Amino acid sequence: MNEKLKNLYKTIILKHNSTPIFFEKNENATHVLKAYNQICGDRFELYFEIKNGVIEDLSFHGFGCAISKASTSVLVKKLKGKELAEALLSCREFLKVTDVEVEIGENVEEEFEAFSAAKEFPGRLKCATLSWDEMIGFLEKRI
Amino acid sequence: MIDLKKIRAEFPIFSHHPKLVYLDNAATTHKPQSVITAISDFYQKENTNIHRGIYPLAAQTTQKYEQVRNKVAQFLNAPNSNNIVYTSGTTASTNLVAHSFLNTRLKKGDEVIISAMEHHANLIPWQMICKKNGANLSIIPMNKEGELDLVSFRKMISEKTKMVAIVHVSNSLGTVNPIEEIIEISHQKNIPVLVDAAQSVAHYPIDVQALDVDFLTFSGHKLFGPTGIGILYGKEQYLSAMHPYQFGGDMIKNVTFEETTFADVPQRFEAGTTNVAGVIGLGTAIDFVNQLDRRAIINYLNDLTLDATGKLLKINGLEIVGTAKNKSSIISFALRNIHPHDVATFLGTDHIAVRAGNHCTQPVMDYFNLPGTTRASFTIYNQPEEVDFLVEKIKEIQQFFS
Repeated sequence: MNEKLKNLYKTIILKHNSTPIFFEKNENATHVLKAYNQICGDRFELYFEIKNGVIEDLSFHGFGCAISKASTSVLVKKLKGKELAEALLSCREFLKVTDVEVEIGENVEEEFEAFSAAKEFPGRLKCATLSWDEMIGFLEKRI
Repeated sequence: MIDLKKIRAEFPIFSHHPKLVYLDNAATTHKPQSVITAISDFYQKENTNIHRGIYPLAAQTTQKYEQVRNKVAQFLNAPNSNNIVYTSGTTASTNLVAHSFLNTRLKKGDEVIISAMEHHANLIPWQMICKKNGANLSIIPMNKEGELDLVSFRKMISEKTKMVAIVHVSNSLGTVNPIEEIIEISHQKNIPVLVDAAQSVAHYPIDVQALDVDFLTFSGHKLFGPTGIGILYGKEQYLSAMHPYQFGGDMIKNVTFEETTFADVPQRFEAGTTNVAGVIGLGTAIDFVNQLDRRAIINYLNDLTLDATGKLLKINGLEIVGTAKNKSSIISFALRNIHPHDVATFLGTDHIAVRAGNHCTQPVMDYFNLPGTTRASFTIYNQPEEVDFLVEKIKEIQQFFS
Protein backbone atom coordinates (compact mmCIF):
# COMPACT_ATOMS: atom_id res chain seq x y z
CA MET A 1 0.00 0.00 0.00
CA ASN A 2 1.35 3.37 -1.04
CA GLU A 3 2.57 5.60 1.81
CA LYS A 4 1.61 8.90 0.16
CA LEU A 5 -1.89 7.62 -0.36
CA LYS A 6 -2.13 6.35 3.17
CA ASN A 7 -1.10 9.75 4.47
CA LEU A 8 -3.60 11.53 2.29
CA TYR A 9 -6.40 9.44 3.69
CA LYS A 10 -5.21 9.07 7.26
CA THR A 11 -4.95 12.64 8.38
CA ILE A 12 -8.23 14.26 7.51
CA ILE A 13 -10.10 12.21 4.99
CA LEU A 14 -10.98 9.08 6.91
CA LYS A 15 -12.19 11.18 9.83
CA HIS A 16 -14.47 13.39 7.74
CA ASN A 17 -15.59 10.43 5.63
CA SER A 18 -16.81 8.40 8.59
CA THR A 19 -18.15 11.34 10.61
CA PRO A 20 -18.89 14.19 8.22
CA ILE A 21 -19.76 17.61 9.60
CA PHE A 22 -23.38 18.80 9.27
CA PHE A 23 -24.36 15.85 7.11
CA GLU A 24 -28.08 16.51 6.84
CA LYS A 25 -30.74 17.89 4.54
CA ASN A 26 -32.31 21.24 5.38
CA GLU A 27 -35.91 21.88 4.41
CA ASN A 28 -35.62 25.56 5.29
CA ALA A 29 -32.71 26.15 2.95
CA THR A 30 -32.84 29.39 0.99
CA HIS A 31 -30.58 27.86 -1.67
CA VAL A 32 -29.67 24.31 -2.67
CA LEU A 33 -26.52 23.74 -4.69
CA LYS A 34 -25.88 20.52 -6.55
CA ALA A 35 -22.35 19.23 -6.85
CA TYR A 36 -22.53 16.29 -9.25
CA ASN A 37 -19.69 14.52 -10.98
CA GLN A 38 -21.24 12.69 -13.90
CA ILE A 39 -18.05 10.78 -14.61
CA CYS A 40 -17.98 8.93 -11.31
CA GLY A 41 -21.51 9.40 -10.02
CA ASP A 42 -20.71 11.50 -6.95
CA ARG A 43 -23.77 13.48 -5.94
CA PHE A 44 -23.89 16.01 -3.16
CA GLU A 45 -26.43 18.66 -2.32
CA LEU A 46 -25.41 21.67 -0.27
CA TYR A 47 -28.15 23.38 1.72
CA PHE A 48 -27.72 27.07 2.50
CA GLU A 49 -29.51 29.56 4.62
CA ILE A 50 -28.19 32.89 3.41
CA LYS A 51 -29.33 36.01 5.25
CA ASN A 52 -27.98 39.52 4.70
CA GLY A 53 -25.03 38.24 2.72
CA VAL A 54 -23.99 35.76 5.40
CA ILE A 55 -24.09 31.96 5.16
CA GLU A 56 -25.95 31.45 8.42
CA ASP A 57 -26.48 27.76 7.94
CA LEU A 58 -24.80 25.24 5.70
CA SER A 59 -25.12 21.47 5.54
CA PHE A 60 -24.77 18.76 2.93
CA HIS A 61 -26.13 15.40 1.95
CA GLY A 62 -25.52 12.82 -0.75
CA PHE A 63 -22.94 10.24 -1.63
CA GLY A 64 -19.49 10.04 -3.10
CA CYS A 65 -16.03 8.69 -2.46
CA ALA A 66 -14.12 9.34 0.74
CA ILE A 67 -12.17 12.22 -0.80
CA SER A 68 -15.18 14.09 -2.18
CA LYS A 69 -17.20 13.50 0.96
CA ALA A 70 -14.41 14.65 3.26
CA SER A 71 -13.69 17.64 1.06
CA THR A 72 -17.35 18.70 1.14
CA SER A 73 -17.43 18.18 4.89
CA VAL A 74 -14.42 20.48 5.30
CA LEU A 75 -16.10 23.01 3.01
CA VAL A 76 -19.22 23.07 5.15
CA LYS A 77 -17.19 23.39 8.32
CA LYS A 78 -15.10 26.27 6.95
CA LEU A 79 -17.76 28.30 5.18
CA LYS A 80 -20.60 28.16 7.66
CA GLY A 81 -21.05 31.56 9.28
CA LYS A 82 -18.92 33.38 6.71
CA GLU A 83 -19.90 36.36 4.58
CA LEU A 84 -20.20 35.50 0.91
CA ALA A 85 -17.07 37.42 -0.10
CA GLU A 86 -15.10 35.80 2.71
CA ALA A 87 -16.38 32.37 1.67
CA LEU A 88 -15.24 32.99 -1.89
CA LEU A 89 -11.73 33.78 -0.67
CA SER A 90 -11.70 30.54 1.28
CA CYS A 91 -12.75 28.58 -1.80
CA ARG A 92 -9.95 30.15 -3.83
CA GLU A 93 -7.47 29.32 -1.09
CA PHE A 94 -8.59 25.69 -1.12
CA LEU A 95 -8.27 25.44 -4.89
CA LYS A 96 -4.73 26.80 -4.72
CA VAL A 97 -3.85 23.94 -2.40
CA THR A 98 -5.05 21.38 -4.93
CA ASP A 99 -3.69 23.20 -7.99
CA VAL A 100 -0.80 21.23 -9.53
CA GLU A 101 0.63 24.45 -10.95
CA VAL A 102 0.87 26.13 -7.56
CA GLU A 103 3.45 25.34 -4.88
CA ILE A 104 1.85 25.00 -1.52
CA GLY A 105 2.46 28.14 0.55
CA GLU A 106 3.01 28.60 4.25
CA ASN A 107 0.22 29.10 6.75
CA VAL A 108 -2.17 26.91 4.86
CA GLU A 109 -4.98 25.60 6.99
CA GLU A 110 -4.24 22.09 8.14
CA GLU A 111 -7.52 20.69 6.93
CA PHE A 112 -6.83 22.12 3.47
CA GLU A 113 -3.27 20.91 3.35
CA ALA A 114 -4.24 17.25 3.53
CA PHE A 115 -5.92 17.56 0.16
CA SER A 116 -2.71 18.74 -1.52
CA ALA A 117 -1.70 15.07 -1.53
CA ALA A 118 -4.48 14.48 -4.08
CA LYS A 119 -2.14 16.15 -6.58
CA GLU A 120 -0.24 12.87 -6.65
CA PHE A 121 -3.35 11.18 -7.99
CA PRO A 122 -4.58 13.20 -10.98
CA GLY A 123 -7.59 10.91 -11.42
CA ARG A 124 -8.81 11.93 -7.98
CA LEU A 125 -8.25 15.69 -8.05
CA LYS A 126 -11.80 16.35 -9.17
CA CYS A 127 -13.02 14.45 -6.10
CA ALA A 128 -11.19 16.95 -3.91
CA THR A 129 -12.39 20.03 -5.79
CA LEU A 130 -15.92 19.02 -6.81
CA SER A 131 -17.92 20.93 -4.19
CA TRP A 132 -15.45 23.83 -4.07
CA ASP A 133 -15.67 24.34 -7.84
CA GLU A 134 -19.45 24.44 -7.67
CA MET A 135 -19.32 26.72 -4.68
CA ILE A 136 -17.14 29.25 -6.48
CA GLY A 137 -19.59 29.39 -9.38
CA PHE A 138 -22.43 29.86 -6.93
CA LEU A 139 -20.73 32.62 -4.93
CA GLU A 140 -19.40 34.53 -7.91
CA LYS A 141 -22.95 34.99 -9.18
CA ARG A 142 -24.02 36.44 -5.86
CA ILE A 143 -21.25 38.88 -5.08
CA MET B 1 -4.38 -27.10 -22.45
CA ILE B 2 -3.50 -23.51 -23.20
CA ASP B 3 -0.02 -22.16 -22.75
CA LEU B 4 -0.70 -19.11 -20.60
CA LYS B 5 2.92 -17.99 -20.41
CA LYS B 6 3.25 -18.07 -24.17
CA ILE B 7 0.07 -16.05 -24.67
CA ARG B 8 1.08 -13.48 -22.07
CA ALA B 9 4.52 -13.12 -23.65
CA GLU B 10 2.89 -11.92 -26.84
CA PHE B 11 1.69 -8.75 -25.08
CA PRO B 12 4.57 -6.25 -24.78
CA ILE B 13 2.71 -4.13 -22.19
CA PHE B 14 3.73 -6.69 -19.57
CA SER B 15 7.43 -6.38 -20.33
CA HIS B 16 7.13 -2.62 -19.95
CA HIS B 17 5.07 -2.98 -16.76
CA PRO B 18 6.12 -6.29 -15.20
CA LYS B 19 4.09 -5.65 -12.05
CA LEU B 20 0.90 -4.72 -13.89
CA VAL B 21 -2.13 -6.76 -12.90
CA TYR B 22 -4.46 -5.73 -15.66
CA LEU B 23 -8.07 -6.49 -14.75
CA ASP B 24 -9.73 -3.85 -16.90
CA ASN B 25 -10.21 -5.90 -20.04
CA ALA B 26 -13.86 -4.97 -20.35
CA ALA B 27 -12.69 -1.38 -20.94
CA THR B 28 -10.05 -2.31 -23.48
CA THR B 29 -7.73 -5.24 -24.04
CA HIS B 30 -4.01 -5.00 -24.58
CA LYS B 31 -2.54 -5.59 -28.03
CA PRO B 32 -0.29 -8.45 -29.01
CA GLN B 33 3.01 -7.58 -30.71
CA SER B 34 1.67 -8.82 -34.04
CA VAL B 35 -1.07 -6.15 -34.06
CA ILE B 36 1.32 -3.37 -33.07
CA THR B 37 3.82 -4.48 -35.73
CA ALA B 38 1.13 -4.67 -38.41
CA ILE B 39 0.06 -1.08 -37.75
CA SER B 40 3.62 0.16 -37.55
CA ASP B 41 4.56 -1.71 -40.75
CA PHE B 42 1.59 -0.27 -42.53
CA TYR B 43 2.66 3.30 -41.80
CA GLN B 44 6.32 2.57 -42.47
CA LYS B 45 6.04 0.49 -45.61
CA GLU B 46 2.70 1.16 -47.29
CA ASN B 47 0.65 4.12 -46.05
CA THR B 48 -1.55 4.91 -49.01
CA ASN B 49 -5.21 5.70 -49.24
CA ILE B 50 -7.71 3.14 -50.37
CA HIS B 51 -10.01 2.95 -53.40
CA ARG B 52 -8.28 5.92 -55.04
CA GLY B 53 -4.72 5.37 -56.10
CA ILE B 54 -3.88 3.41 -59.25
CA TYR B 55 -0.21 2.95 -58.43
CA PRO B 56 0.91 -0.40 -56.97
CA LEU B 57 1.23 0.66 -53.32
CA ALA B 58 -2.30 2.08 -53.27
CA ALA B 59 -3.67 -0.98 -54.99
CA GLN B 60 -1.95 -3.15 -52.40
CA THR B 61 -3.48 -1.20 -49.51
CA THR B 62 -6.94 -1.40 -51.05
CA GLN B 63 -6.53 -5.11 -51.50
CA LYS B 64 -5.45 -5.62 -47.87
CA TYR B 65 -8.27 -3.42 -46.64
CA GLU B 66 -10.83 -5.49 -48.50
CA GLN B 67 -9.17 -8.75 -47.47
CA VAL B 68 -9.75 -7.81 -43.84
CA ARG B 69 -13.43 -7.36 -44.70
CA ASN B 70 -13.42 -10.96 -45.90
CA LYS B 71 -11.63 -12.01 -42.77
CA VAL B 72 -14.22 -10.30 -40.55
CA ALA B 73 -16.98 -11.94 -42.58
CA GLN B 74 -15.41 -15.36 -42.04
CA PHE B 75 -14.81 -14.62 -38.37
CA LEU B 76 -18.55 -13.98 -37.90
CA ASN B 77 -19.57 -16.54 -40.50
CA ALA B 78 -21.33 -13.79 -42.44
CA PRO B 79 -22.61 -14.86 -45.88
CA ASN B 80 -20.63 -12.19 -47.68
CA SER B 81 -18.03 -9.47 -47.10
CA ASN B 82 -20.67 -6.95 -48.22
CA ASN B 83 -22.40 -7.59 -44.91
CA ILE B 84 -19.47 -5.99 -43.12
CA VAL B 85 -19.34 -2.22 -42.60
CA TYR B 86 -16.28 -0.56 -41.11
CA THR B 87 -17.10 2.03 -38.47
CA SER B 88 -15.17 3.75 -35.71
CA GLY B 89 -16.51 1.40 -33.05
CA THR B 90 -19.57 -0.19 -31.47
CA THR B 91 -21.10 3.20 -30.69
CA ALA B 92 -20.81 4.37 -34.30
CA SER B 93 -22.22 1.06 -35.54
CA THR B 94 -25.28 1.39 -33.33
CA ASN B 95 -25.80 5.02 -34.27
CA LEU B 96 -25.60 4.08 -37.95
CA VAL B 97 -28.42 1.55 -37.53
CA ALA B 98 -30.47 3.94 -35.40
CA HIS B 99 -30.18 6.78 -37.93
CA SER B 100 -30.06 5.02 -41.27
CA PHE B 101 -32.27 2.03 -40.60
CA LEU B 102 -34.72 2.78 -37.84
CA ASN B 103 -35.26 6.52 -38.17
CA THR B 104 -37.22 6.23 -41.41
CA ARG B 105 -39.27 3.25 -40.21
CA LEU B 106 -40.31 4.53 -36.84
CA LYS B 107 -43.72 6.17 -36.49
CA LYS B 108 -45.51 7.82 -33.64
CA GLY B 109 -46.60 5.23 -31.10
CA ASP B 110 -44.12 2.61 -32.33
CA GLU B 111 -41.72 0.99 -29.94
CA VAL B 112 -38.09 -0.02 -29.58
CA ILE B 113 -37.19 -2.64 -26.98
CA ILE B 114 -33.86 -2.73 -25.19
CA SER B 115 -32.88 -4.33 -21.88
CA ALA B 116 -32.36 -3.00 -18.37
CA MET B 117 -28.62 -3.71 -18.60
CA GLU B 118 -27.65 -1.83 -21.75
CA HIS B 119 -24.47 0.20 -21.99
CA HIS B 120 -25.32 3.86 -22.66
CA ALA B 121 -24.11 3.25 -26.23
CA ASN B 122 -26.98 0.83 -26.80
CA LEU B 123 -29.48 3.01 -24.97
CA ILE B 124 -29.07 6.66 -25.93
CA PRO B 125 -29.09 6.21 -29.75
CA TRP B 126 -32.48 4.47 -29.47
CA GLN B 127 -33.76 6.91 -26.88
CA MET B 128 -32.97 9.83 -29.20
CA ILE B 129 -34.53 8.23 -32.27
CA CYS B 130 -37.64 7.33 -30.25
CA LYS B 131 -37.99 10.88 -28.92
CA LYS B 132 -37.56 12.33 -32.40
CA ASN B 133 -40.32 10.13 -33.83
CA GLY B 134 -42.71 10.07 -30.88
CA ALA B 135 -42.02 6.38 -30.30
CA ASN B 136 -41.59 4.58 -26.99
CA LEU B 137 -38.48 2.97 -25.60
CA SER B 138 -39.43 -0.12 -23.61
CA ILE B 139 -37.12 -1.94 -21.27
CA ILE B 140 -36.93 -5.68 -20.66
CA PRO B 141 -36.69 -5.90 -16.87
CA MET B 142 -34.10 -7.93 -14.98
CA ASN B 143 -34.01 -9.63 -11.62
CA LYS B 144 -31.59 -9.00 -8.75
CA GLU B 145 -29.21 -11.61 -10.13
CA GLY B 146 -28.93 -9.56 -13.31
CA GLU B 147 -30.88 -11.92 -15.56
CA LEU B 148 -33.40 -10.71 -18.11
CA ASP B 149 -37.06 -11.53 -17.66
CA LEU B 150 -37.99 -13.14 -20.95
CA VAL B 151 -41.55 -13.84 -19.80
CA SER B 152 -42.06 -10.08 -19.66
CA PHE B 153 -40.30 -9.68 -22.98
CA ARG B 154 -42.72 -12.09 -24.66
CA LYS B 155 -45.62 -10.03 -23.31
CA MET B 156 -44.09 -6.67 -24.27
CA ILE B 157 -43.39 -7.43 -27.88
CA SER B 158 -46.18 -6.44 -30.28
CA GLU B 159 -46.87 -5.21 -33.80
CA LYS B 160 -45.81 -1.77 -32.55
CA THR B 161 -42.27 -3.06 -31.89
CA LYS B 162 -39.95 -2.05 -34.70
CA MET B 163 -36.58 -3.00 -33.27
CA VAL B 164 -35.04 -5.03 -30.48
CA ALA B 165 -31.50 -4.10 -29.40
CA ILE B 166 -29.79 -6.21 -26.82
CA VAL B 167 -26.37 -6.60 -25.29
CA HIS B 168 -24.80 -10.06 -25.58
CA VAL B 169 -22.59 -9.77 -22.49
CA SER B 170 -23.30 -7.04 -19.95
CA ASN B 171 -20.23 -4.90 -19.32
CA SER B 172 -21.24 -4.07 -15.75
CA LEU B 173 -22.82 -7.34 -14.57
CA GLY B 174 -21.10 -9.95 -16.71
CA THR B 175 -24.41 -11.60 -17.61
CA VAL B 176 -24.41 -13.59 -20.84
CA ASN B 177 -27.84 -12.97 -22.29
CA PRO B 178 -29.81 -15.68 -24.12
CA ILE B 179 -29.62 -13.86 -27.45
CA GLU B 180 -30.67 -16.98 -29.42
CA GLU B 181 -33.98 -16.99 -27.60
CA ILE B 182 -34.44 -13.22 -27.84
CA ILE B 183 -33.82 -13.34 -31.59
CA GLU B 184 -36.23 -16.24 -32.01
CA ILE B 185 -38.99 -14.52 -30.05
CA SER B 186 -38.46 -11.30 -32.02
CA HIS B 187 -38.43 -13.05 -35.38
CA GLN B 188 -41.75 -14.72 -34.65
CA LYS B 189 -43.12 -11.19 -35.11
CA ASN B 190 -40.65 -10.27 -37.86
CA ILE B 191 -38.87 -7.74 -35.71
CA PRO B 192 -35.20 -7.11 -36.49
CA VAL B 193 -32.68 -7.57 -33.70
CA LEU B 194 -29.39 -5.81 -33.10
CA VAL B 195 -26.90 -7.56 -30.83
CA ASP B 196 -24.18 -5.52 -29.12
CA ALA B 197 -21.28 -7.95 -29.07
CA ALA B 198 -18.65 -5.50 -27.76
CA GLN B 199 -18.00 -7.55 -24.61
CA SER B 200 -18.50 -11.00 -26.08
CA VAL B 201 -16.59 -11.03 -29.34
CA ALA B 202 -13.15 -11.57 -27.77
CA HIS B 203 -14.14 -14.77 -26.00
CA TYR B 204 -17.25 -16.26 -27.58
CA PRO B 205 -17.28 -17.51 -31.15
CA ILE B 206 -20.08 -15.75 -33.03
CA ASP B 207 -21.95 -17.19 -35.99
CA VAL B 208 -24.31 -14.56 -37.35
CA GLN B 209 -26.03 -17.02 -39.66
CA ALA B 210 -26.67 -19.61 -36.97
CA LEU B 211 -27.96 -16.82 -34.71
CA ASP B 212 -29.94 -15.37 -37.61
CA VAL B 213 -29.16 -11.96 -36.08
CA ASP B 214 -30.07 -8.92 -38.19
CA PHE B 215 -27.38 -6.52 -36.98
CA LEU B 216 -24.32 -7.12 -34.83
CA THR B 217 -21.83 -4.57 -33.56
CA PHE B 218 -18.40 -4.70 -31.97
CA SER B 219 -15.18 -2.74 -31.52
CA GLY B 220 -11.66 -3.75 -32.48
CA HIS B 221 -10.06 -2.54 -29.27
CA LYS B 222 -11.85 -5.05 -27.04
CA LEU B 223 -10.67 -7.82 -29.39
CA PHE B 224 -6.93 -7.20 -28.94
CA GLY B 225 -7.07 -4.80 -31.89
CA PRO B 226 -6.63 -1.04 -32.18
CA THR B 227 -9.01 1.68 -31.02
CA GLY B 228 -11.07 3.66 -33.52
CA ILE B 229 -12.15 0.70 -35.61
CA GLY B 230 -15.41 -1.17 -35.27
CA ILE B 231 -17.73 -3.38 -37.22
CA LEU B 232 -21.35 -3.35 -38.14
CA TYR B 233 -22.63 -6.64 -39.50
CA GLY B 234 -26.00 -6.33 -41.20
CA LYS B 235 -28.20 -8.61 -43.24
CA GLU B 236 -28.03 -7.71 -46.91
CA GLN B 237 -31.76 -6.99 -47.17
CA TYR B 238 -31.50 -4.38 -44.41
CA LEU B 239 -28.16 -2.79 -45.32
CA SER B 240 -29.21 -2.33 -48.94
CA ALA B 241 -32.39 -0.55 -47.83
CA MET B 242 -30.46 1.88 -45.64
CA HIS B 243 -29.71 5.44 -46.64
CA PRO B 244 -26.28 6.76 -45.62
CA TYR B 245 -26.21 9.38 -42.91
CA GLN B 246 -22.72 10.68 -43.50
CA PHE B 247 -21.83 12.08 -46.89
CA GLY B 248 -18.54 12.77 -48.59
CA GLY B 249 -15.78 11.10 -50.49
CA ASP B 250 -15.54 7.40 -51.29
CA MET B 251 -19.24 6.67 -50.77
CA ILE B 252 -20.53 7.72 -54.18
CA LYS B 253 -21.05 6.41 -57.69
CA ASN B 254 -21.72 9.66 -59.45
CA VAL B 255 -21.83 13.30 -58.34
CA THR B 256 -23.09 16.42 -60.06
CA PHE B 257 -24.09 19.72 -58.49
CA GLU B 258 -27.69 18.60 -58.80
CA GLU B 259 -27.53 15.01 -57.71
CA THR B 260 -25.50 12.19 -56.17
CA THR B 261 -25.80 8.46 -56.62
CA PHE B 262 -24.43 6.54 -53.70
CA ALA B 263 -22.02 3.64 -53.84
CA ASP B 264 -23.23 0.13 -53.10
CA VAL B 265 -23.25 -1.41 -49.67
CA PRO B 266 -21.03 -1.29 -47.64
CA GLN B 267 -18.98 1.60 -49.18
CA ARG B 268 -21.92 3.96 -49.00
CA PHE B 269 -21.64 3.92 -45.20
CA GLU B 270 -17.91 4.59 -45.19
CA ALA B 271 -17.66 8.25 -46.13
CA GLY B 272 -14.27 9.90 -46.10
CA THR B 273 -10.92 8.27 -45.45
CA THR B 274 -11.58 5.53 -42.94
CA ASN B 275 -9.24 4.18 -40.31
CA VAL B 276 -7.17 2.17 -42.78
CA ALA B 277 -4.38 1.34 -40.30
CA GLY B 278 -7.08 0.35 -37.82
CA VAL B 279 -8.56 -2.07 -40.35
CA ILE B 280 -5.13 -3.61 -40.94
CA GLY B 281 -4.63 -3.92 -37.17
CA LEU B 282 -8.07 -5.47 -36.73
CA GLY B 283 -7.27 -8.05 -39.37
CA THR B 284 -4.13 -9.04 -37.47
CA ALA B 285 -6.07 -9.14 -34.18
CA ILE B 286 -8.52 -11.58 -35.77
CA ASP B 287 -5.59 -13.71 -36.96
CA PHE B 288 -4.32 -13.70 -33.39
CA VAL B 289 -7.69 -14.79 -31.98
CA ASN B 290 -8.15 -17.41 -34.68
CA GLN B 291 -4.97 -19.22 -33.70
CA LEU B 292 -6.13 -19.56 -30.10
CA ASP B 293 -8.05 -22.58 -28.89
CA ARG B 294 -11.20 -20.64 -28.13
CA ARG B 295 -13.00 -23.52 -26.42
CA ALA B 296 -10.06 -23.95 -24.04
CA ILE B 297 -9.94 -20.19 -23.44
CA ILE B 298 -13.61 -20.10 -22.44
CA ASN B 299 -13.08 -23.03 -20.06
CA TYR B 300 -10.02 -21.37 -18.57
CA LEU B 301 -11.80 -18.05 -18.07
CA ASN B 302 -14.84 -19.77 -16.57
CA ASP B 303 -12.57 -21.50 -14.04
CA LEU B 304 -10.71 -18.26 -13.29
CA THR B 305 -13.99 -16.38 -12.80
CA LEU B 306 -15.39 -19.09 -10.53
CA ASP B 307 -12.20 -19.10 -8.47
CA ALA B 308 -12.23 -15.29 -8.19
CA THR B 309 -15.93 -15.25 -7.30
CA GLY B 310 -15.45 -17.81 -4.54
CA LYS B 311 -12.46 -16.01 -3.06
CA LEU B 312 -14.05 -12.56 -3.25
CA LEU B 313 -17.25 -13.80 -1.60
CA LYS B 314 -15.23 -14.95 1.39
CA ILE B 315 -14.35 -11.31 2.07
CA ASN B 316 -16.62 -9.94 4.75
CA GLY B 317 -18.66 -6.97 3.53
CA LEU B 318 -18.07 -7.67 -0.14
CA GLU B 319 -21.07 -8.13 -2.37
CA ILE B 320 -20.93 -9.27 -5.97
CA VAL B 321 -23.23 -7.31 -8.24
CA GLY B 322 -24.47 -9.52 -11.04
CA THR B 323 -24.81 -13.16 -10.12
CA ALA B 324 -26.46 -14.60 -13.21
CA LYS B 325 -26.14 -18.33 -13.80
CA ASN B 326 -24.57 -17.67 -17.17
CA LYS B 327 -21.75 -15.20 -16.64
CA SER B 328 -18.67 -14.11 -18.53
CA SER B 329 -15.33 -13.19 -16.97
CA ILE B 330 -16.53 -9.85 -15.60
CA ILE B 331 -16.98 -9.43 -11.84
CA SER B 332 -18.51 -6.27 -10.39
CA PHE B 333 -18.43 -5.86 -6.64
CA ALA B 334 -19.27 -3.43 -3.88
CA LEU B 335 -17.46 -3.12 -0.55
CA ARG B 336 -19.48 -2.01 2.43
CA ASN B 337 -18.71 1.61 3.39
CA ILE B 338 -15.89 1.99 0.88
CA HIS B 339 -16.54 3.85 -2.34
CA PRO B 340 -15.40 2.13 -5.57
CA HIS B 341 -13.14 5.06 -6.48
CA ASP B 342 -11.29 4.77 -3.21
CA VAL B 343 -10.91 1.03 -3.82
CA ALA B 344 -9.60 1.59 -7.35
CA THR B 345 -7.13 4.27 -6.24
CA PHE B 346 -5.65 2.03 -3.57
CA LEU B 347 -5.53 -0.97 -5.91
CA GLY B 348 -3.89 1.27 -8.51
CA THR B 349 -0.97 2.02 -6.21
CA ASP B 350 -0.44 -1.75 -6.02
CA HIS B 351 -0.39 -1.93 -9.84
CA ILE B 352 -3.83 -3.50 -10.06
CA ALA B 353 -5.90 -1.95 -12.83
CA VAL B 354 -9.65 -2.17 -12.24
CA ARG B 355 -12.52 0.00 -13.34
CA ALA B 356 -14.64 1.88 -10.82
CA GLY B 357 -17.83 3.80 -11.38
CA ASN B 358 -21.08 3.26 -13.20
CA HIS B 359 -19.43 1.64 -16.25
CA CYS B 360 -21.60 3.69 -18.63
CA THR B 361 -24.62 1.84 -17.27
CA GLN B 362 -26.15 4.37 -14.92
CA PRO B 363 -29.63 2.77 -14.96
CA VAL B 364 -28.07 -0.52 -13.84
CA MET B 365 -26.44 1.18 -10.85
CA ASP B 366 -29.72 2.94 -10.04
CA TYR B 367 -31.49 -0.43 -10.11
CA PHE B 368 -29.05 -1.88 -7.59
CA ASN B 369 -29.12 1.40 -5.65
CA LEU B 370 -25.36 1.78 -5.89
CA PRO B 371 -23.27 4.83 -6.85
CA GLY B 372 -21.03 2.46 -8.76
CA THR B 373 -19.08 -0.74 -8.45
CA THR B 374 -15.50 -1.88 -8.71
CA ARG B 375 -15.08 -4.17 -11.68
CA ALA B 376 -12.47 -6.80 -12.39
CA SER B 377 -12.60 -8.25 -15.88
CA PHE B 378 -10.37 -11.08 -17.02
CA THR B 379 -9.04 -12.24 -20.34
CA ILE B 380 -6.56 -14.62 -21.90
CA TYR B 381 -3.39 -13.16 -20.36
CA ASN B 382 -4.64 -13.10 -16.77
CA GLN B 383 -3.19 -15.62 -14.34
CA PRO B 384 -4.65 -17.40 -11.31
CA GLU B 385 -2.16 -15.74 -8.94
CA GLU B 386 -3.51 -12.32 -9.95
CA VAL B 387 -6.83 -13.27 -8.36
CA ASP B 388 -5.07 -14.02 -5.06
CA PHE B 389 -3.18 -10.73 -5.22
CA LEU B 390 -6.44 -8.83 -5.81
CA VAL B 391 -8.12 -10.54 -2.86
CA GLU B 392 -5.16 -9.85 -0.58
CA LYS B 393 -5.10 -6.16 -1.50
CA ILE B 394 -8.85 -5.72 -1.05
CA LYS B 395 -8.47 -7.11 2.46
CA GLU B 396 -5.71 -4.58 3.16
CA ILE B 397 -7.93 -1.73 2.00
CA GLN B 398 -10.72 -2.91 4.27
CA GLN B 399 -8.29 -3.05 7.15
CA PHE B 400 -7.13 0.50 6.44
CA PHE B 401 -10.65 1.90 6.22
CA SER B 402 -11.89 0.11 9.33
